[in-house]
Formats: sequence, C-alpha cells, structure tokens
Amino acid sequence: MAWAWWHPGAGAGHRAGVVGVPVGKDGWFEAGKPLKADGLRARTQRGSIGSTWWSRRFIDILERVCDKGRLSRGRAYARTGQVLDLDLAPGLVTARVQGSRREPYTVEIRIEVYGEAVWSMLERVIAEQAVHRARLLAGEMPTEIEELFAAHGIDLFPRDLDLDCSCPDWSRPCKHVSAVLYLLAESFDDDPFLVLAWRGRSKEELLGSMEEPGAPVVEDVPFGERLADFYSPGAGVPRPELRPPPPAGLLLRVHPPPGDLAHRLRPAYEALGGKAGEEEPAELV
Amino acid sequence: MPSPETGLLPTTSRPALRPWRVPALLPHPAQTLRLLSETLHLLAESTITATLRHWSAVAAFAHDLVRRGRVIPQLTGESAQPVDMWSIPEATAEARWFPVLTGADAAHFRDLAVAMPPACRTGAEEHPSSAVLTDALATFTDAAVRARLTEPLAVRPKTLEDRWLAALTGPDAACPDIPELRRSLNAWREAAGAEGATQVCFRLVEPPAPTPPATPDLDQEEPWWRVELALQPLDDPSLRVPADQIWSGAPIPGLPPRADHELLAGLGRALRLYPALDQALRTAHPTELLLDTAGAFTFLRQAAPLLHAAGFVVQLPRWAGRSKLGLKLTTRTKKQQAATSQGFGLRQLVDFKVELAVGDATITEAELTELARLKVPLVRVRGQWVELDERQLKAALRAVETRREGELTAAEILQHVIQGDDGELPLVEVDADGVLGDLLSGTADRRLTPIPTPPGLDAVLRPYQERGLAWLSFLSELGLGGVLADDMGLGKTVATLSLLVHEKSGRPTLLVCPMSLIGNWQREAARFAPGLRVHVHHGASRDPAKLTDADLVITTYGTAQRDLDTLKQVAWRRVVCDEAQAIKNSGTLQAQAVRSITAETRLALTGTPVENHLAELWSIMEFCNPGLLGSKQRFRTRFQEPIEARQDAQAEQALKRATGPFVLRRLKTDKSIISDLPEKLEVKEWCTLTPEQASLYQAVVDDMMGKIDGSEGIERRGLVLAAMAKLKQVCNHPAHLLKDGSRLAGRSGKLARTEELAAEILAEGEKGLLFTQYSEYGSMLQPYLAQRLDRPVLWLHGGLPKKTRDRLVERFQHDDEPMLFLLSLKAAGVGLNLTAANHVIHLDRWWNPAVEDQATDRAFRIGQRKNVQVRKLICAGTLEERIDEMIERKKALAERVVGTGEDWLTDLSTAELREVFRLGSGAVA
Repeated sequence: MAWAWWHPGAGAGHRAGVVGVPVGKDGWFEAGKPLKADGLRARTQRGSIGSTWWSRRFIDILERVCDKGRLSRGRAYARTGQVLDLDLAPGLVTARVQGSRREPYTVEIRIEVYGEAVWSMLERVIAEQAVHRARLLAGEMPTEIEELFAAHGIDLFPRDLDLDCSCPDWSRPCKHVSAVLYLLAESFDDDPFLVLAWRGRSKEELLGSMEEPGAPVVEDVPFGERLADFYSPGAGVPRPELRPPPPAGLLLRVHPPPGDLAHRLRPAYEALGGKAGEEEPAELV
Repeated sequence: MPSPETGLLPTTSRPALRPWRVPALLPHPAQTLRLLSETLHLLAESTITATLRHWSAVAAFAHDLVRRGRVIPQLTGESAQPVDMWSIPEATAEARWFPVLTGADAAHFRDLAVAMPPACRTGAEEHPSSAVLTDALATFTDAAVRARLTEPLAVRPKTLEDRWLAALTGPDAACPDIPELRRSLNAWREAAGAEGATQVCFRLVEPPAPTPPATPDLDQEEPWWRVELALQPLDDPSLRVPADQIWSGAPIPGLPPRADHELLAGLGRALRLYPALDQALRTAHPTELLLDTAGAFTFLRQAAPLLHAAGFVVQLPRWAGRSKLGLKLTTRTKKQQAATSQGFGLRQLVDFKVELAVGDATITEAELTELARLKVPLVRVRGQWVELDERQLKAALRAVETRREGELTAAEILQHVIQGDDGELPLVEVDADGVLGDLLSGTADRRLTPIPTPPGLDAVLRPYQERGLAWLSFLSELGLGGVLADDMGLGKTVATLSLLVHEKSGRPTLLVCPMSLIGNWQREAARFAPGLRVHVHHGASRDPAKLTDADLVITTYGTAQRDLDTLKQVAWRRVVCDEAQAIKNSGTLQAQAVRSITAETRLALTGTPVENHLAELWSIMEFCNPGLLGSKQRFRTRFQEPIEARQDAQAEQALKRATGPFVLRRLKTDKSIISDLPEKLEVKEWCTLTPEQASLYQAVVDDMMGKIDGSEGIERRGLVLAAMAKLKQVCNHPAHLLKDGSRLAGRSGKLARTEELAAEILAEGEKGLLFTQYSEYGSMLQPYLAQRLDRPVLWLHGGLPKKTRDRLVERFQHDDEPMLFLLSLKAAGVGLNLTAANHVIHLDRWWNPAVEDQATDRAFRIGQRKNVQVRKLICAGTLEERIDEMIERKKALAERVVGTGEDWLTDLSTAELREVFRLGSGAVA
C-alpha cells in the first residue's frame, strides 16, 4: 500500500522541468549545477525547515549524520524544487530527485514497520488515554506518544535511517537524501499521522474513516415555481446574534497555520478586530 | 416581468420562463462592498430593491466575519506554465482571503442561501444559491479584509512566500504560485472549516450542596466542581448528547456517524486554549473534568470566554457573572404623615438602612471579614455561590466601616435607587414597604386602588384600564412623568383621555403626535370625552390665542418645533408625546424642542417595546423625567453596553429598577388582561390627507361630478362607480390613482398610518393581515413595506398559481419571524386559514360589511388562541368617512340595504352624491 501525495500539477509540470542536458565534466559524476526542475519546493524558504517538534526529530537525525555542505545543498535542493515527487508507503519513502544528470536519482528511505502485534498493543495504549487521539485528530503529535512508545520498548523515531540514493556520491546521506528528508519533515508538520503511517498504520486504520464535511448545500426552489416572487426573498433571515470580537488571532491558536506563518499572519488578524470600529457597516433603514 | 420596485405592473398574469439578455456591469469588489455596507441608505428608496438588500445582508455578514477574525488566507489558481527557474516567477496565482464558516456562521450562511431571491442567481441557467453565495461571500470577505489591513505583511518581499504575504494586502492580489504552500494552506483551511456539524459543549456544574443543609456560617470545605463534556449538533442545539453516550458507540439520531471523532477532535482543539483540560483526558472515555474551587474560578473567568469565542458551547451556572457582592437598601414607612396621593407623597420621610448583600442574602461585617481572610474567589454563602474579586472585597470592607442608616425623603430614596451604585458595589436589592415599595417595584398599577370610569367619559373602562388610570393619576399627582407602553389595542388613547377627564385640571394639556394621528385624536376625543375642549394647533390657520382656552391642544412634532416659542409661553398642565418613538433620538431638534416645553408633568405613549431599544428608552425617559436617569453617556456605560454587549443580568436588573416605576407596559397576552379583552376588537383608524391628496381628490370630484350631472341610466351608474373608485384610490395614495410608478414615501396620510401600525405589529413580534381590494395597490405596497419595515411582506393576489399561494400561506403560518401578509380582498376568498395573524388591517373600505367580515375571519377562526384586533383605515372628511357613517346608521338594515356590492351607491341622487364626495374641512392635517 502506498500513500501517494505531492504529485504536483497534472503530471506535466515536473517532467517538463528538465530543460537541456549540461552533462558534468567527467561525463558521469555530477557537476556543480543541477538541472532546473519544477518539483516540490520546501515551504520555508529561509532558516531551518520543520516547525513542529516531531518533524524536527527527523531533521535532528539528518543533521547529526550529515556533513554541513551536503546539508545546505540538500536544503537548497528542497527549496528550488529538485525533488520531483515523493511517495510514502509503510516502511518506505521513495522520491525522485533531479540532479545534474538527465535521469533523476531515486532516493529510498526505509524504516522498520511495526508488526501487527506491536501495533495492536500500541493502539491499545493510545486508546487508553483520550488525550492522544484528541491531539492527533486536532492535527498534532502528542509529545507523550514518544515516551509512551518508549515505555513499551518501541522507538517512534528511528535512531538511524536506512538511506539509499542512486547518485554516485559515496557519502550517505547525500544532498538528494537530505533534500527529501527536509520535505518529508515538512509534510509531517501538516499531518502527524504520516509519521505513524510510515510505521505501518494509516490514520483511517488507526481511527476509522472520517466524515468530510462539505460546504452547506441548500435545495433551491426551481425558478418555475418562484415566478410570482421572483424578486423577493424566499424566507426571512434571522438576524445573526451580534457577537463581540474574540481575542485577536484566536483562529491561529485553535488552528495553527502551516510552517512559521503564525507569527507572520498575526499582525493581520490583530488589525482585523477591534480598532477598525469606524468602518462598522451602517444598518439599513 | 418588471421587478416590483419599478412600480410597473406586470403585463401578463401568467408569466413563463424565457432566456433574456440584459446588459451587465461588472463592478469592482471593493466599491461594491462600500456601496452595500455604507452608502446604500443614501440611495433613493426605489432603487433599493429586495435583491440589493439581500446583497447588503451578505456584505454585512462578510464584515462581521472579518471583524471576528473568521477568515483564512489562501493561495488560489494553479500556474498553467512550468516556471522557468532562472527568471523571476510570474504572478500567475492570487493571494485571497476566505471566510471560515463554522457553527452559527454556517447556519447563517444556510439562512442567507435559502432567502436568496431568484433574481440574484440568474444566468444562462439557474445557478445554485449556495454556489452564488459562496462566491459572493468570498469576494466580499476578501475586499473587507483588504479594506481593514492598511499595513503590508511583508515589506520588500524576498522569497516567494513573502510575495504571497505582500499580496494579501493592498489592491493587487496577484503573486506567483507555490504549489506546496497552496496545498498546505488548503489543508489548513479544511482543518479550520472542518469543525463539522457538531459543537463540543462544556458545562460547569457546581458541587452538590452539603448535607445537612448549610448552616448560616460559611462553608469552608473544598468541594469538587465538574465540567461535563457533551456534543451537540449545530442544527439542533436542544439535543445535547453527554460524552458517555457518545463513547458507547451506538448511533445517535441527529449526530453524524463518527460522533466520537468529532468530540475528540474538538477536545484536541480545546486543549490549545485550555491546557488544564488535559487532566480529564487521561482516561479512554472522558466524561468530565474535575476542578477545585480555584480551578472553577479560572474556568469561569478565563477559559469559558475563550472557549466560547472559539465556537465551543459553554454552559455556566445561572449565578455565573451575576451574583456578586452588592448593596441592599431597606426602607420602612413612618406612620402619621401628610400624604398627597393614595397615602403617599414624595417629601414623606422614611427610615432606611443599607447593608451588604450577596445574591438574596445579606451578610454581616464578621462574615465579610471572614470572606476576605479566606482569599478564595468563589465562596458559598448560605448555600449560594458567589464570585468575589479583590476590588469588590476592598470596597465592601470600606462600606461596612461607615454604618448607613437614617432618614431620607421618598424623593431622595427614589433618586438613590435610580442612580444606583456606589462605585464598585452595585445596588442589588431593594426592600421597601408601602406605596414607595409599590412604586419602586414597578407594580404600582396593581397595588393602587383602581379608579372607576370617571363621569364625563363616554366609555366603560375595563378593569385593566381602571388600574392604568390609577397609575397615570398617581404619577401625575406626584409630579412624575410616565411612559405608557401598553401593547397596541389596549387603548392608550382612551387611557389618556380618561386621565384628562378624571383630573379636570383646568389647565391645558399639550399633545404632540405625528401628523397621521391628528384626525384620530380629534375623533376619539369627540367620541369618548365630548366634554373636553379640543383645539388642533396645526396648519396655516393656527392661532396662539386659542391655546389657553382648551383642555387638550393637539399638535404635531413638526409644528411643535416650529412654534416652540409660542408653546413655551403657555402654562401647561402636561405635555404628552404620542408615538414617542418620534423622540427616540435625543439629539434631534424635534426631541429637543419637545423636551424644552415646560409642564407640571409629562407622559409618553408608545406601542413599541421600549425595553428592547435602550438608547430610545433613555431619550423617552429624559423627556418624561429630565435628568433622572443621568447623562446619556453614563446610561450607556452603566446599562446599554453591559446589557447589549454582554447580556449582563445585573445591569438588566438595575435598569429595570431604575425605569420600572415610570413605565407601564401591559401585554395582550397577560392573563389578567386577556380576560378583560374581547376576542375580536374592531377599531377605526382615522387618517388625514396630504395636501397633494386633497387637491387630487378635489380635481376628481370636480371632473366626475360634471360628467355625472349630464348622464343617466347605465352610463351614469358606470360614472358613479368610476368616480368612487378614483376617490378611494386617491385616499390610498396619489400614485395609486396616477399609476405612474412615482415614489411612495411622504405622500399619503393613509400609507403613513399603515406603516406606523405595521411597524408596531412587527415590533411586538406578531403577524398581521393587510387587505386591499386593489391588486395594483398591493403590488405597489409590497416592495415598499418590505423595504421600510425590513421584514417579510408576503403578497397574495389573483394572479398566483395555486402552488405559490399554498407556499405563501404555509410560510406565513409556520415561519416564526414576525411578518405581514398583504392580500387582495378578492383573491383571499374562502378556504384560507391564516390564524398565525392576530392583526387585521383593512387598507381601503369595501362598502359591504359582510365582505370585510369574511376577510377578517381568515385570522379569526377556530384555532385562534389570541385576541384579534381589526383596524379599518378611514380618511377623515372624505367619502370614506361619509359612507362609514351611513353604514353605521343603517347597521341593522345594512345587510338588506347594502346588498352584496357597491351598487346601492349608484342610486343616490346627484345632490346626495355631491354630499358624499365632498371634501370636508378636517380632511387635511
């Protein structure tokens, strides 16, 4: 089973991104400049990548084992869209990264999948305290999950990653792998369930399927039956209760935005409430 | 088909659908929003159509969402071309703000979609209303955010993300596409909007009262408070499903299938705002959070408001936010004193005592000291929980140091009760005995000895009217002003007249009313109080000399303002403001003028529920008892803001105490009143003509009488009927006769009265039927009234297919919103059951009482549990009044003489007709 996500565009986008073929000087070893590609781009374009604690854990592993030069090139790759696609399946992340060769490199990152017995034990442990599912469902990885797993002798985050890349660089992780890891970390920010999915349990399996609420839909009376009052309202609209504005930026607190956007958007939310009182819409007479 | 606002009548009675090409203007969103929300009221009335009003409601919704921060930024549109790495990315996408619709907002969205007039969603095909509304609301929301954000979010953008942020403000939304950002923003929006069809509820439950029942001292043990967890569907807040039921896993009707996930996800979000919730979620199936008293206080003061603002349902004990420390005033009447009215006078001395109170109980100094020592913010005093804050405790400690007991005059006590608080400590309870107690409790009308119908009043007062007269007379004798705010139909006019007759003061009363009511006052006075000398001070022939010779001087608000200097020179016994909503805006010249006329006592009459319009209440009270409620500013901070913004129960109580003594408002639905009322009350409403109506009327009479004079037989009958029809149309409205689609406002006395009556009905939250025999008049009125009253006005006429009629009737009967149903007399034949209405207004007269009665019976039928009020509008001094008199005179014979049609009128001689049609002197106000 594989969870494919992040296939940008309609498929034409990233492949068409390979323009021209400046082959490296020595014919096969990668030259300094990668080919232009329009793949996945890291959202954070500056500073460190990974804004939640659980995605930082992957970055930490990476930054522990990788040398500085490859790290920074990997980050640059992640930001310029060299990673063409990325698939996550239980135990395996595969990605294609556009390097300097015409043919993109294939990156594979393996992780141990928990066995069925382990998972049923973990599921029981998670279910024992509602707070874990509550946090997961609200979109965050509970910090205690890691301790909880550890208490049962299980690592949520691997000490080491089994990394593989089809590039000729001898060193592991190479910049292609680090680029993929950066992007992987960012995707964990958005959906903590992916961490668990990599370990072999999807959100659906863990919690059962969720209902996706759609936009409210209203059944309209056909025009044919509304000819007599074509220009008139179909019903009265109860006046909405006038609610005092909540503390500024409440939405950002209840639903944290992706990446580091919270602090960048906060000024906007602060300006929306309260002070703009002079612009209150006039009531109709 | 023309839209009703054009004033044009449809040329076809059976319209059908056909494609129609119309020129369209694509306005700029920001300008449109400005037009809809700020300047719409500046437009001419005829251009404000129902569709425009609907968009205005959508715009208001967008503003409200933005004000509350229920918006989320997005990156929309995908790049069509792969971006060239080496060039500056092109701005192929847009940064846009979208609304986040959850909870009550999602419900309001649905209401707006259902209400959308079909004309709003036309196009090559019928667009679904929800799709049209989604687009419009998104457009308005984006424009409203941009209007408010004046500072850019990113200066000198470097990265692509910066460029997106920069494009979120200012007029230009274009920016390069960043697919990853686009997707994660989209996921964010989904998460924020996925609060589902349910809301998580938190209900704070106080610890059980200790057994045995509390001893009078303070309870000091640490009890556990509980916050119960539950889930409730958005569309049915009455269904509150406790968490343990959710965990059972059984499907619950009314809740989505995976209700447990909704509850969990909601709790997960709530954790971010209220971390203490964590301890409750340490079991597999949490049902409640246990809190100690300090924790409960934190929940009350901090978590509850935050959770509520974030869309959670929070239920607090009834006392929360209201049972605070306060003062209690006790007064006791002394014996043997001279009294002026019903054994009471304002200069009378009473004993008084001020104590500290908490809820219903008073506490001693020792208890207070003990409370202060405990240093807990929530304490139970005699079985009742009380929130204490530091400031209040200090104020209370200061207060007990100064013992407050002694003697004051009744007037001073009154002043004290109305002015209320003592800085930090509000006056929470008043215990007064005797007449002063009755006055302060606002129940004087029930305690005073009723005054029977005074000799000279040509009517028999009903028991509630006798009590009303006692109250009016009591306040007058004390020199206090009153507001008589009885429901319409309970007879405020008769009450006022009976007061004048009863009082026989010898000095004149000045009555100020809207022009549309002058005729009515004149006729009612003549009918019920024939002994009163009535003078109308209005129009070109007004004479200052006559003011002092009358018992009752009637004038209009406009004239009062114009002749202020003259009116000020008279020593008035009383000034009465009828339809006192006219002075609701205290700053207007009209209100200032009326206030500046001095009198011994004042009275305001109003049919609108004053307690719902606080700014209005202040202005009216300021007229009745100048200065008593304090300045407008103080009134606003002390009552209006706490009540309107926070539904502060204590402020509401205080306001009731301050105004209760001066406001008498009785509802038709009161048990004590309803038994006094007849089931069907028929009233004639006298209207006046505007000068335009009068001159048109005269022109029609001159023209038609000339023709009738020289004709006979069938031709003559035709002409007479035509003349009558035209005159009745003039009485309705000049535009009704002219059929020129011209403006309606301010040109007809009858229409003005119709509007006032309709507004009163709607303000009382009721429904009314309006009958006219002219469907073209109904077609003119419908859009006009709908717009002026901002409530639904349904219109049933002969041109409607059965299906539509049924839908209208269905809506009128079952929709809870107050509304009007305009019906053409002919179309509203038998078979209609409109018992949701308890008001009937006949806009024009059908000279056959049987037909009118049949129409009236639409509302007055078996199943009607309310009293029905029937009003017939009659233009004074016109054929309407004359024929009404004839019908009255011949009442017994009416059926036979009048027959079923209006034909009997055609048999009148030309001289008789001249008399019937003549424009009387009192016709024009």
